[in-house]
Amino acid sequence: MIQPKYRRSFGDLSERALAFWLLLPAALLLGAVALYPVARLIYTSLFQRRLTDETGSNPVFVGFANFAQALSDERFWTALWNTLLIVLVTVPGALVVGLLLALLANLPFRVKWPVRLGLLLPWALPLVFAGLIFRWFFDSQYGVVNDVIVRLGGERLLWVTTPELLFWAVCISIIWKSSSFVALILLAGLQVIPKELYESASVDGANRWQSFWRITLPLLTPAILVAAIFRTITAFQTFDIPFAMQNGGSSFETLAMYVRTMSIENLNFGYGSALAVLMFLISLAVTLIYLRYVRGADD
Amino acid sequence: MVKLNSPRIWLWIAAGIVVINGFFPAVWILLTSFKTEAELTRIPITWLPENPTLQNYVQALTRAPIGRYFLNSLVVAVGATLLCVFVSALAAYALARLRIPYKTLIFSLLVGVSMFPTVTLLLPLFEMVLALGLRNTYIALILPHAALSIPVATLVLVSFFQGIPKDLESAAMVDGCSRLGALWRIVVPLSAPGVFTASILAFVNSWDEFLLSLTLLPSQAMRTLPVGIQFLQGEYTFPWPLISAALIIALVPVALVIAIFQERVVGGLTQGGVKG
Repeated sequence: MIQPKYRRSFGDLSERALAFWLLLPAALLLGAVALYPVARLIYTSLFQRRLTDETGSNPVFVGFANFAQALSDERFWTALWNTLLIVLVTVPGALVVGLLLALLANLPFRVKWPVRLGLLLPWALPLVFAGLIFRWFFDSQYGVVNDVIVRLGGERLLWVTTPELLFWAVCISIIWKSSSFVALILLAGLQVIPKELYESASVDGANRWQSFWRITLPLLTPAILVAAIFRTITAFQTFDIPFAMQNGGSSFETLAMYVRTMSIENLNFGYGSALAVLMFLISLAVTLIYLRYVRGADD
Repeated sequence: MVKLNSPRIWLWIAAGIVVINGFFPAVWILLTSFKTEAELTRIPITWLPENPTLQNYVQALTRAPIGRYFLNSLVVAVGATLLCVFVSALAAYALARLRIPYKTLIFSLLVGVSMFPTVTLLLPLFEMVLALGLRNTYIALILPHAALSIPVATLVLVSFFQGIPKDLESAAMVDGCSRLGALWRIVVPLSAPGVFTASILAFVNSWDEFLLSLTLLPSQAMRTLPVGIQFLQGEYTFPWPLISAALIIALVPVALVIAIFQERVVGGLTQGGVKG
């Protein structure tokens, strides 16, 4: 039994006070790990501050000079461009593969667990591990991909050392890794489409292909949009897979990789912060579109 | 004989595609882990190991400190999960049950925070950890890992709490329970599956995280599995036998948990995702 006195003291809390105390720990933790860092980042981005010289302890206020520097920094534009290419290739790629997997997984299997596990494993696999595994697949000497190509009568390709091929190897790895999460979201969407719709459509003489275009796809559109936005936001942050596939190298560099190199390796906190702020703003814009869409869907 | 036009064979093919797509990288790494270096550096490559050996596993556990990396990952992930789920459960109860002003704004903030690029938090967190002298301590990684899973854990728990009939709580409160008493005796036991789902999601998030781990726990003794195994690439001239054995050691425990609780994981993912 709870002691009466103890009970009374909590029972007397007004609903608002109780809500405040319940929300406080989460708010404090998120404040310290997410909100304060963003504020700090914006502040630092206005200073020249390198840990490698005297500005490390005496930062010099430079206004928006770091941002001006970014706009004329070729490496920044290359990294941004590479990141956009990753988004443009892997988001549609993962959506198409994910939709295919979801449609297959939605068939009426008697035993469901092997298929479900087939979708869950890639999701649970750490990104870095996916990067390492595909780096081994694409190994120019001993990789299984080149082995298959040679067996089919093709030429050995230098996947990791040729920039364009490296880009495609990275994209294929990302699409494999992320398509199963897309499939899980789409599968949940497929399962709430009423079966009667398909029955009445087939009574009306529609074939499967027509049912897919007229029923499945339109009703799945909200789930596809949610998956697309999620994927866009995570693809924009791509770091682990190209990092692992190049063993930390940067001949193919994404924006996240450049931000980390500038801040943590080069210890250029001011300029690194400005790059991070730019990245944050782009990401925030996509998030706001997403939130507006979700709220629109709720109404 | 199964007829080619029978629907059953198409079901088998469909299942085969999904299963092979999901399993082939893990299976290939498993096969690689049983091959000797001599076999792995031969052309044309072999698919099945000719003389299966456990040598790579012995090497992974003795020459490379995979056991230590495993322990580090476990401490961080368990710590982050406990903290995250405790804090999220309190917040989720308030959001699911109490009248709170600006509730929509709070939900939007939660979703918004979950979409912050981790790399933009990296430098400020790095500075904070340096200033507090916490670099290469578990707590430096447990706190951010816990915080980064709060949004998804909270969203999953909110939908579980909402599924518990309010009448049960009201009845308990009429019978003399305080609100927190009702929370502890009615809501918490009934939402155990939700708490469990949120725990798995938080655990996997932490277990998989790379960028913060790389920066905040860089010393060899403190590396988590993703960081430690990635570094094997540069530490050995032909690291793949070692890496594949290490990957299998790192993957099997999590794969088992996922396999056993797959329904809950799928439910939690789609709640946290689609509803988000």
